[in-house]
Amino acid sequence: MKKLPLLPHVYQKIGAILLLPFLALGIANSFFDYELPWLWFRRLSTGKILDFNTNNLTDELASVGIILSMMLVAFSKEKTEDEAIQFFRLASLQWAVIVNYVVLIACILLVYGTGFLSVMIYNMFTILIIFNIRFRFVLFQHNKMNA
Amino acid sequence: MKNKIKVHRAIHNLTQDDLAKRIGVSRQTINTMESAKYIPSTALALKMARELGVSVEELFQLEEGE
Repeated sequence: MKKLPLLPHVYQKIGAILLLPFLALGIANSFFDYELPWLWFRRLSTGKILDFNTNNLTDELASVGIILSMMLVAFSKEKTEDEAIQFFRLASLQWAVIVNYVVLIACILLVYGTGFLSVMIYNMFTILIIFNIRFRFVLFQHNKMNA
Repeated sequence: MKNKIKVHRAIHNLTQDDLAKRIGVSRQTINTMESAKYIPSTALALKMARELGVSVEELFQLEEGE
């Protein structure tokens, strides 16, 4: 089987380490309205789309950081990467996409108004979260069965 | 699909770890293949057959109804 492009194993640890501060920042920002004081952009203004005039970039930093660090964890090689692991990775990805959209459909039908905005915000991260949990669980079972 | 990996591994007096190293997979993967929980690619099946000195058909057989 043609090998899928993946990052070296070391990036998995880098991703896991980076995830913690970004996750803490994201939680602090969304639940406690914490904003990094040096991330206000008052003067920079480049039109309507990128209007930094009144914007604090803490939430942007946290979101991008969480997504990138989860992607590092998700798409780095395992210590012994072989075709069975690749199969588990793809199967977990399929599983995650299905679960994510089943939950999203339920939310579309059941959640209205501003609550739905929260659903959309969480939905930015849920595929990667579900995938990572599922893939780790499958690998854990794979290793445990052979212990 | 059933297989005789374990039998041929025993004939050659190889551990799961030995065979795993020779064909470049993890020991766990050998185990999941032996218990028919994972079906290897053609390339991996050919490598395994080569290491064990048998044909792929000797190593893997379809079950009735497959």
